[in-house]
Amino acid sequence: MIRTRIFRSFVFLMIGFSLVACDKTPPNGNNNNNSKAPVTGTLEVEFRIPGSFLPPNRVLRADLSVAVDAEHLYKGHFFYVANVYNNKLMYQITLKPGNYYYQAGIVCIAGGDSCSAAGFPGGQFGVKWAIGTAQINANEITHVVPQFTQ
Amino acid sequence: MFFGSDNLFLRVFLVPFEWNCEEIKLIDMANGLIKNYLYKGIIILGTTCMVLSSCSTEIDINAPNQNVPIVYCILNDADSVQYVRLQKTYLVDQAAISTPPEADSLYFPGEIQISLERWENGRPVQTVQFEPTYDVPKDSGFFPVEKHMVYKAHVKILPMKTYYLYVYIKDKEEVLFAETTTLGHMTVTDPLDLKQRKIALNIGENYICRWQPVENAGIYQIGIRLNYFETVDGVTVAKSLDMPQSFTSPVTNIDYLTRVISGSRFIHIISEQLKPIPGVVREVQNLDFYFITGGKEIKYYIESTAPSEGALIEKPVYSNFNNGLGLFSSSARADIKGLYLANTTLDSIAYSQLTNNLGFLDHNGDRDSSNICSNQ
Repeated sequence: MIRTRIFRSFVFLMIGFSLVACDKTPPNGNNNNNSKAPVTGTLEVEFRIPGSFLPPNRVLRADLSVAVDAEHLYKGHFFYVANVYNNKLMYQITLKPGNYYYQAGIVCIAGGDSCSAAGFPGGQFGVKWAIGTAQINANEITHVVPQFTQ
Repeated sequence: MFFGSDNLFLRVFLVPFEWNCEEIKLIDMANGLIKNYLYKGIIILGTTCMVLSSCSTEIDINAPNQNVPIVYCILNDADSVQYVRLQKTYLVDQAAISTPPEADSLYFPGEIQISLERWENGRPVQTVQFEPTYDVPKDSGFFPVEKHMVYKAHVKILPMKTYYLYVYIKDKEEVLFAETTTLGHMTVTDPLDLKQRKIALNIGENYICRWQPVENAGIYQIGIRLNYFETVDGVTVAKSLDMPQSFTSPVTNIDYLTRVISGSRFIHIISEQLKPIPGVVREVQNLDFYFITGGKEIKYYIESTAPSEGALIEKPVYSNFNNGLGLFSSSARADIKGLYLANTTLDSIAYSQLTNNLGFLDHNGDRDSSNICSNQ
């Protein structure tokens, strides 16, 4: 009797082990316990080109850069520089929560003195800059629109 | 048979009539020995001949060389000089690299006339003759001749026109000809030739090239060239690193064609192509973009010479020449040169795990990574 009980217990134990080993339940993909994904927010820049008497294709997006503070912005030490295009209006940048400084630039390529008349320093290929700050919060989108002087 | 056991033939000629029986027995024994050796000799000789003849590998598998003309001409609308390369097929018994053919095997002797005609409204309106020249230096690779002879003509190629190329070879009394329609103008939208717009190519940051479709185009390819200075032992040399991208096929009914240049691949190629040199200082200068498009003939030719992917192992090489082999097509290109890289890209090249041992300077012009900002 004792041997039979020991044998049955052993069999049940092995069945239990086998069931555990054959568990097809997928593991927890979030893996929250070991390494947490960095908490980030999004800076969304609506890079509009201001209207002027110049034709639309004579003023182009030139630069969109982000720095951690004003001093780094002034020195040109950016940690992110976006590739800007003529046909792209919205630019999204994933950042850690905090306060950031961004700069956006537009360039005038019109001939003659049109660029100077439109307020672009240096005339043709002159660049206007718009600088601003953005507060990035976790899991939120911060929307900014750079404002250029007329 | 001639060598039978009771050989009367040998007996008649070897045994005189006046000999006695003993002598005849001796002669019979000698006769037997001779026959034995003859049998063995014939068997050995025959077997040897059969073996040697059956193991012969000297089979002439090569048909006689026919000296087929091969012509290559890609009209370039961005240049005022056009080139034609004319050679002929040759045949060597051994590997051509170990035993290169003579120069006479590559070029046709005698008179060669090459002319290019532009046709409009069903008739030729312009004819240009090509002249032989050695201006084009030999490229690296297998060229078994001292000088690289091509034919050139000063002619500006017009877009969207029909051209005929004629090649007359007096030695063969043949005229080769081919037809092609030149491509339209290539207009690049991104990147623009705008020095104020920096190019960012980092790990996770790609650049999207855009251009308008070109009429009659069959294939496109974009290449970028990283220009940099390399200083070793106080000697500075301007160098460049080419990064051709894969081919792009034309798409109909679309306003723009695009090609994404991977920032990660950009960093990887730099790390793969450049070698770390002790004490080297490298400084990125700028980045060039090359947009090249070719006609449909080039597309077919590239496809015919590409490695087979299916069950069809051997593909016929495309040729659009009559009475010969070769390729006659046109190309168009647009170069956007001297674009500056973003500060973040310069810092990535200088300090990324893949390239930090190559001696590149960062955007400050030094190798001090403490003044580099990061949001990570």
